[in-house]
Amino acid sequence: MRQSYRMIPVYTADVSGVCSALYELGGMTVMHDPSGCNSTYNTHDEIRWYDQDSLIFISGLTEIDAIMGNDRKFIDDIEYAARELHPKFIALAGSPIPFMNGTDFPAIARVIETETGIPAFSVPTNGMNDYVYGAGIALEEIAKRFVREPDRQENRDPSSRTVNLLGVTPLDFGPQKNAETLKENLQKYGWQVMSVWAMGDDLKTLQRSAEADVNLVVSAVGLRVAKILWEKYKIPYVIGTPNDWLAEDISNALERAATRQAEPAVVYLQNRMQQEADITLVGEPVTMGSLAAGIEKRYGRAARVLCPLKECADLLGEKDKMVLGEEAMEEALKSAGIIVADPLYRPICPGDSIFYELPHVAFSGRIYF
Amino acid sequence: MIRIAVYGKGGIGKSTTVSNVAAALAEMGLKVMQIGCDPKADSTILLRHGEAVPAVLDLYNEKKQALQLEDMIRIGYNGVICVEAGGPTPGLGCAGRGIITALEKLKELGAYDVYKPDVVLYDVLGDVVCGGFSMPMRGGYADKIFIITSGENMAIHAAANIAMAVENFKNRGYAGLGGLILNRRDVPREEEKVAELADDFHTAVIGTLSHSGQVALAEEQKKTLMECYPTGEMADEYRALAMQMYRICGGILEAKSDKVRSGYIQEEA
Repeated sequence: MRQSYRMIPVYTADVSGVCSALYELGGMTVMHDPSGCNSTYNTHDEIRWYDQDSLIFISGLTEIDAIMGNDRKFIDDIEYAARELHPKFIALAGSPIPFMNGTDFPAIARVIETETGIPAFSVPTNGMNDYVYGAGIALEEIAKRFVREPDRQENRDPSSRTVNLLGVTPLDFGPQKNAETLKENLQKYGWQVMSVWAMGDDLKTLQRSAEADVNLVVSAVGLRVAKILWEKYKIPYVIGTPNDWLAEDISNALERAATRQAEPAVVYLQNRMQQEADITLVGEPVTMGSLAAGIEKRYGRAARVLCPLKECADLLGEKDKMVLGEEAMEEALKSAGIIVADPLYRPICPGDSIFYELPHVAFSGRIYF
Repeated sequence: MIRIAVYGKGGIGKSTTVSNVAAALAEMGLKVMQIGCDPKADSTILLRHGEAVPAVLDLYNEKKQALQLEDMIRIGYNGVICVEAGGPTPGLGCAGRGIITALEKLKELGAYDVYKPDVVLYDVLGDVVCGGFSMPMRGGYADKIFIITSGENMAIHAAANIAMAVENFKNRGYAGLGGLILNRRDVPREEEKVAELADDFHTAVIGTLSHSGQVALAEEQKKTLMECYPTGEMADEYRALAMQMYRICGGILEAKSDKVRSGYIQEEA
């Protein structure tokens, strides 16, 4: 029963991750699926659904369309909608059915781009990965396709302190006010946030990202973008979420990175307490790792992170652990005395543990928002 | 109703053999339905004198819920009921899932209840390459599987793969192996090699077909050999094979049926 979830939910899937990451960028995102991915996204995963418009579509794939490989119908429907709605780009996201019959999304995107003149790309989702994968690749595509070469001056102003925040979606950060808090925490140290990938800023703003001095990866979702912007424009990056307790350390790391004095730094893994943790945080590694580091700094109590998301091993510290599946998580939490996690984790926590609720949209959806 | 699925390497002569067996069974007075389970949708072409049968999946794709049973049925030589499952354009979609859906559609629309065939022949694409192509051998479909092979190594290899699949599925209540059919290509040690294969899978070579030029000549005329050369030796080979397959599946032939009396079939004593 190692793969079954009896009491806790699973994390938001890759398809919703794509939609969430691209929601505010003025593009058209099309999930190729009968409808299940759509209803999961708008009823569970997307807190902006009723307040903010976005061109999120489902293809309404039927059994016979899947069998016969009616790609032309899919293409025609998208092109018809695109000609009416004029999206800035078209993003295609696959689901389990097209994954199983090997639908060639990159080729379909090329056809759509040629026939409409609208930039089109695909994200290789299949509903079997978590949101970090889908949202991460979606933003990576935006970085590859849309970020413009910066108009760099020969002599950079040494007093310039500009930064992009990478990996900000409601799935990890909830409503916009939390994104504003991240910005304010950096502004206190003199940083000007040029763009937030991708909440509260439009595609035009993101396109100018290469003009920033440095990038800050605030969740695992932003790591792929950071790597692309480093490869293409040599913009250094730092990893960590600027919460109230860690913002100063992050600011210092950003400064060092901006002057090219250091390798990419995972700020929250530096100067950590060595003793065994008595506080356990469960969730996304960068936000929870930064919180753990902040707790140690503020309260002097050792903390660790249990990460239930794939592809995040490089973002964990020595005390932290990757824990996949309900059974493994229940086992890992047995020794935990103080737990900080989404409220839906409570049923698998020891009865005598002290539990601090920290809702995570990617886990409990819109229940707490 | 007796249900038979025929598998074998691509190009080994499955459709030609199945169509001639269908014609031979029909000649014995049996009502026969032949269902092509191949995206190429050409299993029954010789029974229809080269005229294509509209494929179930194309019709379903076009008509959706308005699809009617009679849309997908055509009558061929000797009254054989011809059906083609069809499939997607090569390179797209999922042919295996297509076979499942086509067979389910046929059942759902009452093909077996309305036409009441005595024998249903499933002519299945080359190999059991995915779940869809095992559909004809699943519970509720074929009673027995027959594998056509020559003595050529590639054909024997494919036949072994198919026999292995049948073996693997035996605890699922799938159709059992009825036997091997040797379609001669006159290669060295042909009978010996096919007999060895039969031994390996604890089955038998239940029929042998000669490498006859008449088969190709009939094909040139877009007809089955049974129609073109009904009095030749090759036609008798098909009749003997048809009778053997029918019997292995539990069919009982009336010794004094019209066709038997006419001398086409030499009943065993």
